[in-house]
Amino acid sequence: MDEKKCYEQKQYKNGLKFAKQILANFSDHGETLAMKGLILNCLGRKEDAYSFVRQGLRNNLKSHVCWHVFGLLQRSDKKYDEAIKCYRNALKWDKDNLQILRDLSLLQIQMRDLDGYKASEETRYKLFELRPTQRASWIGYAMSFHLLQDYDTALKILEEFRKTIQKTTYDYEYSELLLYQNLVIRESKNLHEALKHLNTYEANICDKVTLQELRGELYMKLGRKGDASEVYRGLIKRNPENRNYYLKLEEALGLATVEERLKLYEELKEKFPRAQVPKRLPLNYARGEELESLLDPYLRAALQKGVPPLFTDIQSLYSDPDKIQIVEKLMNSYLTNLEETGHLCETDNEFKEPASILYVLMFLAQHHSYLGDIEKALALMDRALEHTPTLIELYIVKGKILKHAGDYVGSYEALQEAQALDTADRYVNSKAASYLLKANLVRQAEEMCSKFTREGVTAMENLNEMQCMWFQTECAQAYYRLGQYGDSLRKCHEVDRHFTEIIEDQFDFHTYCMRKMTLRSYVELLRLEDVLRSNRFYWDAAQIAITIYLRLHDQPLSANTGENNINTGEC
Amino acid sequence: MRKGRIELGDVTPHNIKQLKLLNQVVFPVSYNDKFYKDVLEAGELAKLAYYNDMVVGGVCCRVDVLDGQRRLYIMTLGCLAPYRRLGIGTKMLEHVLNFVEREGNFNSIFLHVQVNNDGALDFYKKFGFEVVETKQHYYKRIEPADAHVLQKTLVKS
Repeated sequence: MDEKKCYEQKQYKNGLKFAKQILANFSDHGETLAMKGLILNCLGRKEDAYSFVRQGLRNNLKSHVCWHVFGLLQRSDKKYDEAIKCYRNALKWDKDNLQILRDLSLLQIQMRDLDGYKASEETRYKLFELRPTQRASWIGYAMSFHLLQDYDTALKILEEFRKTIQKTTYDYEYSELLLYQNLVIRESKNLHEALKHLNTYEANICDKVTLQELRGELYMKLGRKGDASEVYRGLIKRNPENRNYYLKLEEALGLATVEERLKLYEELKEKFPRAQVPKRLPLNYARGEELESLLDPYLRAALQKGVPPLFTDIQSLYSDPDKIQIVEKLMNSYLTNLEETGHLCETDNEFKEPASILYVLMFLAQHHSYLGDIEKALALMDRALEHTPTLIELYIVKGKILKHAGDYVGSYEALQEAQALDTADRYVNSKAASYLLKANLVRQAEEMCSKFTREGVTAMENLNEMQCMWFQTECAQAYYRLGQYGDSLRKCHEVDRHFTEIIEDQFDFHTYCMRKMTLRSYVELLRLEDVLRSNRFYWDAAQIAITIYLRLHDQPLSANTGENNINTGEC
Repeated sequence: MRKGRIELGDVTPHNIKQLKLLNQVVFPVSYNDKFYKDVLEAGELAKLAYYNDMVVGGVCCRVDVLDGQRRLYIMTLGCLAPYRRLGIGTKMLEHVLNFVEREGNFNSIFLHVQVNNDGALDFYKKFGFEVVETKQHYYKRIEPADAHVLQKTLVKS
């Protein structure tokens, strides 16, 4: 027992001393041998650890301690399936051992052995009668049913648990529990019940925004459009920059025609004169002259104020050729007016903003680049650069235009200039590195990144450590284009390892989230992890790796492709 | 709508290229590496001017001691052409004037201006600078090569 205490308190040296004393008298005492192995594992002596634990187990196959220890050892090596088997064996000999049950349940949720998770919790459910204060076991039990889509049982347990909670005036954890309960009710498709639940506990739910968003969603699904529209109006008042609320409001009001929608936005623009969204959204609906009359003040305000990403904002209108025409016409008129009078339009008496022409030139350059007229785009960029050569965005835009034109050398040169102008800007630094990779200059790209990576290790190592996946996938692509398949595969596998790590990192959240009651986010996390590898970075890396492996299968490297042999050596 | 925000910022090794680029565009004279190396050590005597977060101006001075007299010499003070007459030069010059006032141990501030640069002459006269001397062939590579010396004598408190 003393030995076990030493292990729990991390007094490994003392633990080993006790083990030695016991083994001096009982050299084949299984549990002591196993504990000795476990301690050795903590001291980094993996091989010895396994041999002692195995020896211990052989000497006492009926000991839950030996099986538990073997399970812990496997778990520390991330062999979760094996560990689960060990815990199960341990429970055979001590079926009510709380610690083992808890450890097993963590592994089962990690491995998504949901049926097993629930089953083990059943054992724990019996323990509730003895120890009903353990709230993590209540929630875990309920959640196992939820994840298995047995909503009724999940809700029954949650409701029983909810009743045991002492309500204080402001209790965020109680509020989170209620919102989790509501999530389960909604997923059970009982929308009336979900709405009733929200109304009943409104005062106890601290997250008022979520409360209203859920209410709006439920009203919509229940066909109570009028009530929904009131909720969304309230939400817009709270945050007039949330696009989604406006779209939901349109839906709730059942607006079908362009006129109806534009009328709504006229009203909202007046109500929220400082908000951007009610000014931007109607541009998506209006056409022809109406669009022009809306677009004109919108563009002028942005050009007067100086909004560098104006083109990015407007670009979504470009799916409609008529709209492109209107934008171009307006922009050209601004350019002419600015050149002649210094004002954006003849009639305004605004302050003559000196940077307006700069932003018009920049916009038109991006516009013509979009339409494929690179020469015109670059000429406009030159004019902008002459006007304000110190504006770093201009070099970035120029780089982008050149990249679209396929001039990768020109594009990274432009970004290198931008980077030199402000070496403290990490965004520009990363963009420069990215463009260097597009031009297959891996070493230079690494050098560029090294200005921001930790000192003492190479940039490559540090970027890997930081799970910097944009760099690693783009690097893999560059190596692939260079025919350095080995280097490319190495990068792909580094990316793959990040995803494995992210899945493993999940482990800590099983206990943490139950304790902190952040159940909605926890369920979201579990569901994200289930589809984690659908992430773009994984797809990109996988695609390159598959292409290379197929190629190597079709055309295996022979002795006379010596250099490639060396490059693939490590994979 | 009003004009944009004007702010001054430090010159650092990270942004010194912006100052170089600015000076290249604004002045007909080019400055060597030593100039920029000293600027990095100049503290409050070198500043970048920002208009709506864009670098559009810069000022660089140094302390000049002659016959026991401490004088502040404005080496460069310039602003990109489109951003002139917005108060950016004033902001930079006021910064310099405040600096010498705070320090209190300067006898005068002076600078050189190409004789045909009326805009600059008017600008400095507004702040109490006077032409005290005209140097023949002051500039080597530009025309006209003569320069006025503008000076503002400081009253010692």
